[in-house]
Amino acid sequence: MSEESGVALESATEDDIDDKPILKPEEPSLPPGEWVRKNLFNGFFNSVLTVLTVFLMAIAARGLLNYVFSEERVWSAPATNARLILTFAYPDSQYARVWVTVGLLAVLTGTSIGLWAQWAGVSAKKLCFWSMNLGSAILLSIVLTQPGVHRDAAGEVLRDADSDVIRKSFSTAMSDRLVWWIVGLAFIGAGLLAWNWLGEMRRRTIRVPSSFLIFGSLGLVVLSLWVVNYGHYAFIDGEFIAISGRTVATTTKQPWTLMWLILVGSFFLGRQIRKTERASSVKGLLNLGWLLSPFVIYWVILRDPAIDYSHVWSTDLPLFLAFAIGGGAVLWLLSYPGIGEAGRLAGVGLVVVAIFQFVAAFAGWYPMLQKVRLSFVLLALLGLAASNFSGERSQRIRFVGVWFVLAALLHYFATVMNAPATVDVVSENFTGGLTVTLFVTALTLMISFPLGVVLALGRTSSLPIFRIMSTTYIESIRGVPLITILFFFSNILPLFLPDGMDIAEFAAIILGYSLFSAAYLAENVRGGLQAIRRGQYEAADALGLTSPQRTSFIVLPQALRISIPPLVGQVIGTFKETSLIAIIGGFDLLRIGNQVIPAQTQFLGIKRENLLIVAAMYWVITFAISKYSMRLERRLGVGER
Amino acid sequence: MTNPTTLAERAHEKPPFYRDATIVKWIIQVAALALVLFSLFFLASEAGDNLRASNVPTDFNFLDVDPGIKVSEGIDTNPNTGGRALWVGMVNTIRMSIAGIAAATVLGVIIGLARLSSNWTVNKVGSIYIETIRNIPLLVQIYIWAAILASLSPVTLEQGPIHGWIHLSNKGLSLPRVFVSDGFYQWLVVMIFGALVARWVHKRQTAIHDASGHDTYPIGSAGGVLLVFAAIGWFIHPVFGFLGGWLDQVAELIDGTPEFGVQLALSAIFVSAAVLWIRSFLNQRRTPAGPAQLSDDDWFRMIFAGIGAAIGVFVVLIMWPGLSSWMINSSRDLFEVLGAKFGDGRDGAPFDAMRPDIVKPGNFANYGPSGLNLTIGFAAVFFGVVLYTAAFIGEIVRGGILAIPKGQTEAASAVGLRRSTLLRMVILPQAIRIILPPVGNQYLNLAKNTSLAIAVGYSDLVQVGQTIGNQTGKPLPVFAIWMLFYLAVSLTISVVVNFFNIRLKIVER
Repeated sequence: MSEESGVALESATEDDIDDKPILKPEEPSLPPGEWVRKNLFNGFFNSVLTVLTVFLMAIAARGLLNYVFSEERVWSAPATNARLILTFAYPDSQYARVWVTVGLLAVLTGTSIGLWAQWAGVSAKKLCFWSMNLGSAILLSIVLTQPGVHRDAAGEVLRDADSDVIRKSFSTAMSDRLVWWIVGLAFIGAGLLAWNWLGEMRRRTIRVPSSFLIFGSLGLVVLSLWVVNYGHYAFIDGEFIAISGRTVATTTKQPWTLMWLILVGSFFLGRQIRKTERASSVKGLLNLGWLLSPFVIYWVILRDPAIDYSHVWSTDLPLFLAFAIGGGAVLWLLSYPGIGEAGRLAGVGLVVVAIFQFVAAFAGWYPMLQKVRLSFVLLALLGLAASNFSGERSQRIRFVGVWFVLAALLHYFATVMNAPATVDVVSENFTGGLTVTLFVTALTLMISFPLGVVLALGRTSSLPIFRIMSTTYIESIRGVPLITILFFFSNILPLFLPDGMDIAEFAAIILGYSLFSAAYLAENVRGGLQAIRRGQYEAADALGLTSPQRTSFIVLPQALRISIPPLVGQVIGTFKETSLIAIIGGFDLLRIGNQVIPAQTQFLGIKRENLLIVAAMYWVITFAISKYSMRLERRLGVGER
Repeated sequence: MTNPTTLAERAHEKPPFYRDATIVKWIIQVAALALVLFSLFFLASEAGDNLRASNVPTDFNFLDVDPGIKVSEGIDTNPNTGGRALWVGMVNTIRMSIAGIAAATVLGVIIGLARLSSNWTVNKVGSIYIETIRNIPLLVQIYIWAAILASLSPVTLEQGPIHGWIHLSNKGLSLPRVFVSDGFYQWLVVMIFGALVARWVHKRQTAIHDASGHDTYPIGSAGGVLLVFAAIGWFIHPVFGFLGGWLDQVAELIDGTPEFGVQLALSAIFVSAAVLWIRSFLNQRRTPAGPAQLSDDDWFRMIFAGIGAAIGVFVVLIMWPGLSSWMINSSRDLFEVLGAKFGDGRDGAPFDAMRPDIVKPGNFANYGPSGLNLTIGFAAVFFGVVLYTAAFIGEIVRGGILAIPKGQTEAASAVGLRRSTLLRMVILPQAIRIILPPVGNQYLNLAKNTSLAIAVGYSDLVQVGQTIGNQTGKPLPVFAIWMLFYLAVSLTISVVVNFFNIRLKIVER
């Protein structure tokens, strides 16, 4: 903690945090001719290999370009269905809610980047390279792509007698692409000019902030919405609209511009907060915000629950107050430093009560609101942990405060989730597409993380029964494919529930993902746990810590830090695995691209275009996470000590 | 505190039972176990009630009943029992896994080496491949392959009946079919003998090389011996027809074994295994000062072994006495089948081959049965899992080779080894130890990922099981079969990988 604030204070004196360059000794760059000789043509075998690879790559690139720019491709299919892909059948009249969601995420993202990011910036040398590479890629694409086709006035493709398309001549095609020639040459020229003008020393020392590059390029994309004629394609209230030769609809470009402004604005806000002393408390608040965002977005913003306020005043609020005050009093007593054995026994007693509630529920002895049971569980867990937090008055107040906040959140979301949605929905799931993919990922990770940690602790525990139970669970889950588990939870789980208890298919799917993911997560955490040296345990014991204290304050923090790289891998894996929802009948990103759009009358059987777009969306998100994890790994110095 | 005592004196007091670490530990564990068992029992009884209420008894009867479904491809496209249909699915899964593992290994190693290449273009191609494939979900890739293959040109009768060796269309891929023919088993016997001789030759040549330093080409000579045996076996294999009679005699011998004898033998095996294990366990714990203090854990293990043996004996003798007769019958059947395969006086080539053909049984032309036909589903899943897994294997191979200290390369160069020898004799033997365990994990993943075949209609176990489960309304037993099958597959792969792992381990002093 102290280290962190030290960094913040130090950087506060600097003008731009981004611009703190990490100067590494750099190898002097070779002149181009020598570089080529050293890396491409050193020896006969390598020369042949180079020529062969370049030739094959050219063929592959040409194939890809021809495929993408072919006159047979119907790119308007994904373009028209952009809304479907992102949010499925969310009602057009309520679409502002989606924008509120994006806005919320933009605020969280922008502020987080502003507060946390320690980007070193990109050297001018690299930028010159990028510019020249981009220009060369554009020029190469111009030459490699096959000439376009002739079209008549109506835009139909002209065909000859054998119904083959008639292509333009090579020279016409090249002159058609004049604009792109200019763009490509401009990039190369700009790169070369900057390269020569800056000189060797400044090329290395001048650094452009990464934030400027990222937000700038996003800004360019947003700007292009206003300038470039992408065309206006959409289904609005079931009506099919396809107008080429104009910019996108105002309802698209205005909100996105706003979102960009919010993103950049909250980035600068985060920057300003970082320079103040409140930075660490804002960071805590942001963490909480990220944790709550899936629930708030899904159940509050998108679903717009119709809360029955009379019920709230008569039942929900009194119930909450009773729990908050009663539970608070209990925890206040339990965290009293001198309570000793009695506190521990009381904690155990609370656990027994909490478990008994569930036993009673399954046996059907007496009815009870689910949130009451969950409140008891929460209270019991905090009660068990209470002895770890006993101490000064202020510490005890903070502990009880945590209970207040948690109980409030539990009761609030329980009320919200049980209220009916006011948003009109076409199908039983009121949202789908990318929203569902992201939502399932987020919820799965949230549920499986604590579960995985518990399983890992169980598997490395010295208590044989815990170890056997954890190992059995982990190994049997890891032994079977995910799809069978998802089938189990979506088809078979309802059979196991007692009468009158029901589970929504969506919840069952998330449960399936979580239980599956927890087994893999446990193995990742176990790797971290096993890397903790014996001395740490012995030191903790020597200090007189109890074994829960040793685990939660000494062992776990270190183990989790070690397991960050595999855990990020797990995040990526879970995100990719959500595509399996498409098989078991949910409307996720993939299902819409593969089945929903090809079933529309306008785009009957159009599959590949959608799939490529969907693949690109997955790729961008996954690639971003994996790049971020590499940075994180370097920053934390994992594996270096 | 009525009697103020020093800490040292109080250390000898026995704590109250709720502070006794041993007792508390066991109370917590037993309570947790009881809770889990209670939940499971409760859920199971609910499931039983629900199933009885819905009049769908959970049993495995559907295994013997005509499932009324067709399987799109496999060893039997028109299975007459549910069990047979699931078996076809299993074979399809295994087929896909084996083919996939072989292809992914080759491609993965190539990509890993490409990523290590000093040649800039090759290196870049490797990294572009890995970054693209790794970051797109496998299911999306499978769908893309299926969509691309489905858009190929259709197959027509004019293209056939035999049009070259390979035929690709929107019906899939048709390849020449190589199959095991009549003489195969006799030939196999020759080959087993040949393998033994080849092994001996390999050892001998290696020994000569080690002793004298001459080039003796152990692998080349062993391969040559094997080839010679294959060629000889092709012509003289009918000689081994007499093995058929021997195998039949073994089958008769097994048939005559009394049931009770088998039961006793099995029980004896269980009990003696437990006793031997406990003995060796105790010996391990023995210190020069006598038997060591046994921890809770040790006791638990020994009790566990004893209970395991008791359960084994109970099952064999009382619970399932049919087990031993089943074992007798099935091993007798196995030998009878083997005996029939050899037969007396059978001959013919060990292998045969047929080329693809195109037939038109109804309105639509399709591939006939003589070629090895891979449907679009197979090809899509195959390309999908192979390309996907190869990307991961590539990264593993690269990491494993990079993990070898640079000093090894430098030392080998200093001794004067050529680059290829250096790789083969110094780097790879060390890298393979690092590479093998994670690659084994990837093999497991590949086998499990083949279950995505259900998305494109390739009839693997999951697809067939899902169809049968829906049709009979008995998803639970099907789920149990899935679980057992995949656990068996996982176990098999880990056993094989572990075998090589142990063999390759550095033997330390």
